[in-house]
Amino acid sequence: MAMIEVEGLTKKYRDRVAIDALSFKVAEGKIVGFLGPNGAGKSTTMKILTGFMPATEGKARVAGFDVFEKPIEAKRQIGYLPETPPLYPELTVRGFLQFVAEIKGVPRGQVKSEIDRVAKGTGVTSELDRLNSALSKGYRQRVGIAQALIGNPKLLILDEPTEGLDPRQRNEVLQLIKGLAGQHTVVLSTHILAEVKTICEQVLIIHRGKIVADETMAAITGGRENGLEEKFIQLTAN
Amino acid sequence: MRNIIAIAKKELTVYLTTPWAWIVFTVVSFVSSLFFIAYLIQFKDAHEQIRTMDGGWEQIGPDAQYLRNLTDGVVMPLFSTMLVVLLFVVPFLSARIFAEERRQKTLELLMTAPLTSFEIVLGKYLGGLCIVIATISTTLVYPVLLTAFGSSFSATTAEKTMTLEWPVVLLGFLALVLWGAAIHSIGTFISSLTESVIIAGLVTLCVSLVWLVIKLAAPNAAGILRDVLDYVSFEYQLRNLLRGVLDLQPLVFFASLILVFLLATHRAVESRRWV
Repeated sequence: MAMIEVEGLTKKYRDRVAIDALSFKVAEGKIVGFLGPNGAGKSTTMKILTGFMPATEGKARVAGFDVFEKPIEAKRQIGYLPETPPLYPELTVRGFLQFVAEIKGVPRGQVKSEIDRVAKGTGVTSELDRLNSALSKGYRQRVGIAQALIGNPKLLILDEPTEGLDPRQRNEVLQLIKGLAGQHTVVLSTHILAEVKTICEQVLIIHRGKIVADETMAAITGGRENGLEEKFIQLTAN
Repeated sequence: MRNIIAIAKKELTVYLTTPWAWIVFTVVSFVSSLFFIAYLIQFKDAHEQIRTMDGGWEQIGPDAQYLRNLTDGVVMPLFSTMLVVLLFVVPFLSARIFAEERRQKTLELLMTAPLTSFEIVLGKYLGGLCIVIATISTTLVYPVLLTAFGSSFSATTAEKTMTLEWPVVLLGFLALVLWGAAIHSIGTFISSLTESVIIAGLVTLCVSLVWLVIKLAAPNAAGILRDVLDYVSFEYQLRNLLRGVLDLQPLVFFASLILVFLLATHRAVESRRWV
């Protein structure tokens, strides 16, 4: 079954077209890299898929639920890390994760074990009793991912999860995402190609609101070392 | 329901871990204590003066008769003053409710969680309302003090006037809560329109000040305008509750007002999805 089905998705901000008739599918269990230059429409697409904003035209389905017609059901299937991790600075990491568990409908008795599970998975167990505002950028990003993992959603949508991290943290976050393969379908956006190469199986390249490539990693690189970079530069040239 | 409680609980935690609520509690306690002392002195002076007069209270005009007992002479004037104080402080409690989420980009979390906009608005409103009620409750310390120590007056004056009528006090408290809840609903709506807490607070304050102007302007207007201004002024709506008469009209008036502004907030939150 396709985890994400998008057909003719268009978003206009007044007269500016952010994304233009996008259509693509993502199969269950895949890790997909969603690439494109800055301002290509990556975040817009993700915001529509997660139900943060509606499309101007077109359809999007997550795990079979239309995100416009059945928003609540669709949102239950999704864990989402926005560009800026949505952490309340006044709450502790534990308090924050508990709040997320409650609004995501985790049964009362399982909240505690769920927090322990995602904290362990993202390596923030030692930080659980610190305030969100006191966290370093790397930990903020991890807590953001931990928040997305709560409730064990089928689909994870991560918007630039490694943005602003140092190389070591970046590597750790990538390994963390790689470890999620199999249990979750993951869509991650980035403009850093090296990251995609290490963890993604499928690549979607978006440029000026249109899909310019939708291929498996092997097909797009053609076996060459710099295949992805060459292809990316070629496709997003104008 | 669980979602609404979860959001309200989160709001409470945020209020109580930031200085906002504590500053408001402090300011309100300080201001109300000044007025309490002033009203108490006025009350005491009146009674001392009466005692020296022949005929006592019968000699006094109807305008000063309210000073005869503690409830009408001290607590109710204090509550009336608190209405104006609330008008200045509640806007600062409600200002951050949506604006702060927008600024910190945490609204994205709420909007992409399996919640309806209705649950988000109601949860946030109720969380803030708890703080508004807590603020108002700080003034209950004065009736409590009067109950505990007011009886020491009674040796010298008629027994009955010195015991506090708690049902009347609680109706006055209800009037304050209705008023606070109404301003809070307006503030919640305005907060949902902006990213800036300061702007939300100041605009709400301006809107509440219009209400104060209405109260001041009503006696000077004439004809139908006067009737209308009178009707929408909070003092007119709450006058019976502050006299200790349980009146349904203000309940309906303020409940409708709160409902209208919560629906408007709901529309504002929804429309943000459609930009």
